[in-house]
Order: sequence, then structure tokens, then C-alpha cells
Amino acid sequence: MSEAFFEVSGLNTWFFTRTGTFKSVRDVSFSLRRGEVLGIVGESGSGKSVTGMSIMGQVDEPGRIVSGSIKLDGEELTTLSFDAMRHYRGRRIAMVFQNPLMTLNPLMRIRDQMFEAISEHEPASHAEMQSRCIDALRSVGIPSPEDRLSAYPHELSGGMRQRVVIAIALLLNPDLIIADEPTTALDVTIQAQIIHQMRRQIDERGLGMIWITHDLATLSELADRILVMYAGAMMETGTTADIIGSSRHPYTRKLLESVPSLNVPGEKLRQIRGSMPSLLTLGAGCPFKDRCEFATEACAEAVPERVFSATHRVWCHHPIEDDR
Amino acid sequence: MSRASLAEFAGRFAESRVGLASLAVTLFFLFCALFAPLLSPTDPYDLSRLELIDALKPMGSPQVLPGEEFRANFAVTDGVATPDGDVGDLATASCGERCIAVRLASAETELASLQVRSLPKGMSVEGASKHPVQPWWTVNDPEGNGVRIVSDEPLPAAFSFSVIAKTAEQPTDFVFVAGTDAFGRDMLSAILYGIRISIFVGVLAAGSAMVIGTGLGLLAAWRGGVTDAVIMRTVDFMLSFPAILVGLSILAILGSGVDKVIMAVVLVQWCYYARTSRSLALSELNKEYVEAARCLRLPAWRIMLRHVLPNCMPQIIVLFTLNIAAAISLESSLSFLGVGLPLTQPSLGMLIANGYEFIFSQKYWISFGPGLVLLVMIVAMNLLGDRLRDLNNPRFDR
Amino acid sequence: MTQPVFEARDVSRIFEPAQGALQRLGDRLAGRQPPLVRAVDRVTLSVSEGETLGIVGESGCGKSTLARMIAGILPVSGGERRYRGEGYDSFLARKRDALKVQMVFQDPMSSLNPRLKVGEIIGEAAALHGVVPRAQIRRYVVETLNRVGLPADAIDRYPHEFSGGQRQRVGIARALAVKPDLLVCDEAVAALDVSVQAQIINLLMDIKQDSGLSMIFISHDLGLIRHLCDRVAVMYLGRVVELAGTEELFSNPTHPYTQMLLAGMPQISLKRRTFMPIKGEIPSPLAPPPGCHFHPRCLAATDHCSTRRPELVELAPGHTHACLNAGLTRN
Repeated sequence: MSEAFFEVSGLNTWFFTRTGTFKSVRDVSFSLRRGEVLGIVGESGSGKSVTGMSIMGQVDEPGRIVSGSIKLDGEELTTLSFDAMRHYRGRRIAMVFQNPLMTLNPLMRIRDQMFEAISEHEPASHAEMQSRCIDALRSVGIPSPEDRLSAYPHELSGGMRQRVVIAIALLLNPDLIIADEPTTALDVTIQAQIIHQMRRQIDERGLGMIWITHDLATLSELADRILVMYAGAMMETGTTADIIGSSRHPYTRKLLESVPSLNVPGEKLRQIRGSMPSLLTLGAGCPFKDRCEFATEACAEAVPERVFSATHRVWCHHPIEDDR
Repeated sequence: MSRASLAEFAGRFAESRVGLASLAVTLFFLFCALFAPLLSPTDPYDLSRLELIDALKPMGSPQVLPGEEFRANFAVTDGVATPDGDVGDLATASCGERCIAVRLASAETELASLQVRSLPKGMSVEGASKHPVQPWWTVNDPEGNGVRIVSDEPLPAAFSFSVIAKTAEQPTDFVFVAGTDAFGRDMLSAILYGIRISIFVGVLAAGSAMVIGTGLGLLAAWRGGVTDAVIMRTVDFMLSFPAILVGLSILAILGSGVDKVIMAVVLVQWCYYARTSRSLALSELNKEYVEAARCLRLPAWRIMLRHVLPNCMPQIIVLFTLNIAAAISLESSLSFLGVGLPLTQPSLGMLIANGYEFIFSQKYWISFGPGLVLLVMIVAMNLLGDRLRDLNNPRFDR
Repeated sequence: MTQPVFEARDVSRIFEPAQGALQRLGDRLAGRQPPLVRAVDRVTLSVSEGETLGIVGESGCGKSTLARMIAGILPVSGGERRYRGEGYDSFLARKRDALKVQMVFQDPMSSLNPRLKVGEIIGEAAALHGVVPRAQIRRYVVETLNRVGLPADAIDRYPHEFSGGQRQRVGIARALAVKPDLLVCDEAVAALDVSVQAQIINLLMDIKQDSGLSMIFISHDLGLIRHLCDRVAVMYLGRVVELAGTEELFSNPTHPYTQMLLAGMPQISLKRRTFMPIKGEIPSPLAPPPGCHFHPRCLAATDHCSTRRPELVELAPGHTHACLNAGLTRN
């Protein structure tokens, strides 16, 4: 396997609001190799989306990256100027949002939007752009792409729109795609298709992908490695087999157990008690301690990193040692 | 709204200085309106207190008491003048063989002029100007509050003359800060009462329009179909006329008066509320809490008034703030054109109209004061309404 | 067999899509029928005492519209609804009795009136309809709050002070407060996080066990449906395509659409799944294909699928489906 080309280390992104400082992302580090899908999984408020926005340089006021570094092929992104970052966005790092209408302009035809994306970064002749667009659309499984080019976004179904967005993201052959809940709004059958096609594109093109979601099931089918986040902090990271098959962190374990399909039908689900703590009042210790059945007084202190294998790391005082 | 969210709202409101300033100015004018009778130095409606001498005084001039006039007849025998009847403060003295001095006894009051009449031939008054035809001698601002009657010849044994003394106008401590109008009315008091009437008409009219318009809007949203179509087409129809034209026509038919002006404003403004509340209610009706209320089989009026209306109120209150300003300016326009409020209850618009004829004779202050007040008040209310609207708009929310 | 709590027979919901005035005028002048959309197209189903019926389908399949017709919020365009054998017209007219069918909504944000305190939200209908004497309403609301796992002091707080899961509990308490027999849950946990989702599901199961009420659980999540329901109806573009007991449906799906749905269901497993080739997208509900709505995407479609509408036929006791090629798809 090749070397990591993308690295995030010690990332802290905080939001300074009137009510206080929301430490949405705290000390998050991970790396990514070409042809690899890293899944970031977490519930709402876990900081997974803010992590994605931080990489894209799109954290808006009153938030900002307080510390940490984000490196693409060794080049630091956090210190780049706005213009330099714009060059990276789209060309080397592309983003796909949950709602395709955040990316698509409702007043422009698909063709014009795709042409614009190309000519912004690498101007080409009309015929060349046309053929590249058709290739991109075909690669994400859009039937008769020639006809779709002249459509407006509202003429396409939700699944088609999301495919167009992915096609636009692929258009400039980026190194990295960040997908924030890209299939959450879609129906099951469409979701399965898109995940299938995404996996194929990643394998063929050898690009890296960060797939942000709350859904462990899709990740288990798509991701190579998984990072579990909770209340802005990393809980556990490892290969998909590490996380799904032999998770060590009580939170990951609980999260997996509360999925209905892993429970006996008709019996009560194994639930996690309580709810996520406020990011405002977070202390030094493990953010999960109030809901964790293994919590002890030690959990109020800084959380140690426990290394289980070359790939599998857990941030917990009391990781679960036995396999499930 | 709970206390916490109210505090939060206040905090966000305070972020804008313009918003705070406009709120302060608006509250100031509301205060003026509420306490006008206590604040204003005179009662502008009390016609008996008006003095014509105070008319058209510029800003900052003091009120004056008009001078008094004394008349006295004197009979002179052998050089000695004796009062003939009551002579008041006037006194005579001899000042020589051919000279009689007439003066005001008290030193405090100043004489503006003193006139001596019907002197015999050969006699005159020192330093006086004589009437070209009549035997009247007049001295303005006499020195030492008196004059001397002198004669070329020895005084006749007996003669008589009469004296008319006018005391000077007395400036008082009272100052017309904003000047006076053509009737000598204190403009400051008139403006304070004008604010009171303008705000009263504005609030009452915009409030009535809000109740009527919002009610019709909610009805249209709830019933839909024909009811909706009829109400909303009427709104479209009403909105196609300029407000001032509607107001003028109504008042032309009904005549002037506070109630009629309010009626005209309501007729102009209800459609804004109807249109706004209908669209707000329609979007609220699509929300799940309304479906829940229907599932709980709550009566329609209860759903509309208790569930939908409170959620529409923030935007309607914004409209209300803006519409008070619009109502005041419409009322002022109508009063300016002479069809609005009656003369006995001068609003700001009418005060401006009253001063209009004097503007070209450089007596600008009669229109200037009320105009400035009206301008500041309406701008402040509009800014306040804009600020409230911005705060209500989730797009500006962080 | 005892009488079902709720029964729907050939229930339909038809509406005219919004059109410009000119278009409407043109249609009328040309004597054309304005196009009609069948959001729900002749659906027949029933729920018996204490049963949980699942309705599963993708967006645009009409499941939410059906939920609102069952709850009596929307009128039907055709067919009939019965509550314990009584037609809905007379049932809904008696307001007090009509409370027996209640609904839990999807969105924890918009399903609670932000201007009312939780106590008012829960107690309003119970007090108004005399479910509980007004003097005891506060105590009753506290009891109901406890039942859904909320503290008593929630009564004087506003919805925005609660988290999504707690708000959903308030929504459930609001429905429970009027003592329903049948609870219609429309995607009641779809907007919640996984861990909270499990809490709410457990709460619903507890309530069902305690009070024995019947439930209609509507979801797009097959995992949830499988976990919670006794019987499942699969809907596609306004029609029920398959209806069977949960075990039967998940182990032996016969309709090609159900099979496709189950195949697409994401599962936590370490096996890389081989994806079943799926043809096309869900057609617009505004213009569904003729015949069997599913035929353009169906691998087993034959010529008559595009012309004939398949009716529900019983394959085995309690297992019906609407497919013309029953023999072909049964493996």
C-alpha cells in the first residue's frame, strides 16, 4: 500500500459564540492513502462535518481552526491564502454535500455548470470539455449522459442530482473527495447504486475519499478504515474489520449494538442511556463518561491512547478487551 | 416567548447601534405622546390664553406682556396743574416759569411713549414730534419717564391738556423655544400635542388594521377556495390604488374627523396584514404541529388562534411597527391637504400646513419644527421596524 | 376472527397537481381532463388488536399520505376507512371518540408548537375534550411525562429547551395523553441519531406492551420495521405491492420490488456485498408508468406488465402480493 498523501494532525476547530466557545473538533488526527476510503462516523454534534469543512477551508465565522495542520502531499493547507485555497478546492479536493442543491445552481443547465467547473481551473476546447463531461456522467452511472447535459437540476430526480454532483467532483480528477452524508437523503435502492459506483471510481482512479456519515451500515460496505467521533473527539480508529468486527471502545460497541438489525426482532434494543453532553461544558476527561457503563473516576482525567494493532487505536481508559 | 429567549432577543437587538438609537427615539416620542399635557408649557387648545402680540415670534423669543395705557386730563391754573379726574401714576411738576413736566410716578415701569394732546397755541413738548394736523405731541421712549411741556410765552392762566402714556411691553421669563404660529400659539406645546394626536391616530389605525387584516388573512388561509380567492383578490384590488388616493376619496365622502381618518388608514392598510398573515399562516399550516392539533381534534378556531397565530405574530408585529409610521405619514399628508383632522385638534401634518403660507416670508419655524419631528419620528420607527424584521429573518441568524 | 381496530378498503388519495392558471384554462378550453396524481391508489389493509403493522417504502410512495388518512387528518378521495367496524364519517364526527386514533410525527422540530409549554402541548386536548377533569390535568400531564421518561419539571418548559430525542418523547406523550387505541407513527425516529433512535424505539415497545395499543409504524428503514412489526406492507408509488408477516416477508419476499429493497438494505457486515444490478430510478409519482408501476425497473417484467395492473393475490395465508408473474419470481 502506498504512503499517506493526506494528513490531518491535531486539528482543533472551535466556534466562538455569544453563549461560549464550542470546541466542535478537538485534537483530531488521521491520514489517508490513495485508493482508500476513510469513513468518519458519528452522531449529530460529533464534529464530523466540521472536520470536513475545516479541510475544505470553509469554516465560517464565528468558527476558526485554532490549531493543527492539514497537509496534502506535504503542503500545508491551513496557512494558505483564500485565493490559493480556491485553487485547491475543486481541483485537488472536491466536496459532495448531503443536499445536491447546495452545489448545483438551479438556474443553469448541467452542461454549463460542468463547463464552468472545468474552465475555472483548466480551460479546454468545447469538444474536449463536452467529452470529459459525458465521461464523468457515465462513470457515475447516469444513463444517456448526452441528454442529461442540457437538463436543469430540477428536471432530475434526487438520485440523479447527487450523481451529477459526484460527476462534477470527479471532473477535475481531484486527489481527495470529501463526501458529507452524500446518500443520507436518498432512497435505499439508489443509495446502494451510488455507493457501488463510488467504490468503483475510487478503485479505478486511485483517489482518496473521506466519507462522513452517521450510518455504520453503509460504512461497513464501503470504507477501508473508520474513524469514530463523539462530541468533537476521536473515540476509536481502525480498519473496517477492526471497528465492525472487534471494536474496543464502549461507545463504538454500544453504537453497533443499538442498530436494529443486530438485535433480536421484537426484543428491546440495546440502547445508550442519556444524551450527548453540551460542547460548552465539556471537561478534560472522556466526553462519553456520563453514558458509559464502564466509567470510573479515572475517566474524568485526560484520555490515554491505546494501540491495539498497527491500524487499531482507541482513546479510552477502559477499552473492552474481549472480542464480541 | 420565554424569559431566556426574550433576553437572547434583546441581546441580539442590542448589537446594532442604529437599532438601539431608533428604539430610544421611538420610545422618546411615545413618552412625549403619553405625557404631552404634563410636558407642554402651555395648553395650545386654550384659545383664551392666546395673545396676538405673540404671533409669529421666531424661535427663542420671550413671551411679552403688552404695554398698558394711561390717560389723564390735567387742568392748569396759574402754572399749577391739577389732575382732572383719576390720573393714575401720572404726575406733573413745575419745572420753571414756562414749563410743566409730566412723568410717570413709578420708576420701574418704563414708558414706551407719551403723548400730550390739546395744548394751547404756542406751547409744545420738548423733543416731541407733532402730529401734522392734530395738536398732538408724541415722545417715544421718553427720557426719565417724562416729558416737558414748554411754552414760548408765559403760561395762560387756565388751560387743560390730556396725556396718553403707554408703558413698554414687558418681556417675561417664558421663552417660546420653538417660536409661535400665526395665532401666537407656542409651537413647542403644539408639537407635543401634535405628536400625541399623530401617534394616537397612527397606533389606533394601524392596530385596527392589524386586527381586521390578520383576521381576514387567517380566514383566507384556513378556508382556502372561494373565501381565499375573494379576500385575496380584494387585497390585490385595494393595493392597486395609491394610499393617498384612497384616503382622499374616503375623507371626501365621509368628511374629516379623527374617526374618519382612522377609518381611511384601516381601509388602506388591512390588505398588507391580510396578505402577510395569509402567507405566514399557510406555511405554519403545513407544519406537523398543526397536523397534530388536527389529529387531537381541536376546533378550527382554536388551532388558528392558539397555535397558528402566535407563530405568525413576530412578523406581524414588525409590519405593525412599520405601518404605524406609514399611518402617521398618511394622516399627516391628509391633514396637510386639509381633509384630515379638524382645526381644533392639530396634528403634525396640520401644523406643517399652517406654517406653509409663512415659509416665503422667512417665518420658517412654524413648519420647520413639526416637519423635523415628523421626519425623525417616521425614520426612527422605520429603522426600528427594519431592525426587528432583520432579527426575525432566520437568514441573518448565525 | 375478532374485528380489526382499523381497516382500510380501497383507500385512495387523488389530487390535482398545482398548475398555472393559463395551463388550467387551456386544459378546460380544450376539454382535457386535468392530470390527476394518485398519491395513494386503492390501498387495502387492516390492523388488529395489539398488532403492529409496518408500512415500508421509499420517498414518494405515498406512505405519509396514507398515514394522515388513517389518522383522519386528510380526507380520502375514494374507498372507506373503518374504526372497529364503524365508518370514519360518523367516527370522526364524535370528537371525543375520534381521539382513539393518534399520530406521532417525524420532525422533532416542527411537530411541537414552539410557543406552547410542554404541559400545554400535552394537556390541551385532554382538558378540552374532557378526557381528564380540568382540575387534575396537571397531575395527569406529569404522569404522562413520566410514562415517556421525561422529568416532571418538563411541564413548564418550552420545546426548544429539549434535545431531539426528548422532543420526540413529548410528541409521543401528546398522543398518549388522549388515550388512543391506535398509534400511527410516521417515520417517528428517522430524524434522530442512532443511539437516541434506540431509546425511542424501546419506549414505543414499552408503551405497546403496557397498554396493548395497536400501532402502524411507517418507515423507510427495513431494519426498524423488521425489529418492531408483526406484519409489513410494502408500498411502491401509491400501491401496496406486498403484504405479509414480518418473518415471512424478510425470509421469503416474492415481489421483485421487495426483493430489490431487501437487497439494497445496508447491513453491518464485513462481507463486501455484490450489488444486484438495479435498473433505473424511481419514476416521478406525478407520472407513474402504466400497468404495474414497477415494470420499468423489474427484471422479471413481461409484456403484459406494462398494460395490466396487478391486483393483490394471496400466495399463502396472510401473504399477499401484487405481481403478475408470481410463478417467475418465486424462487
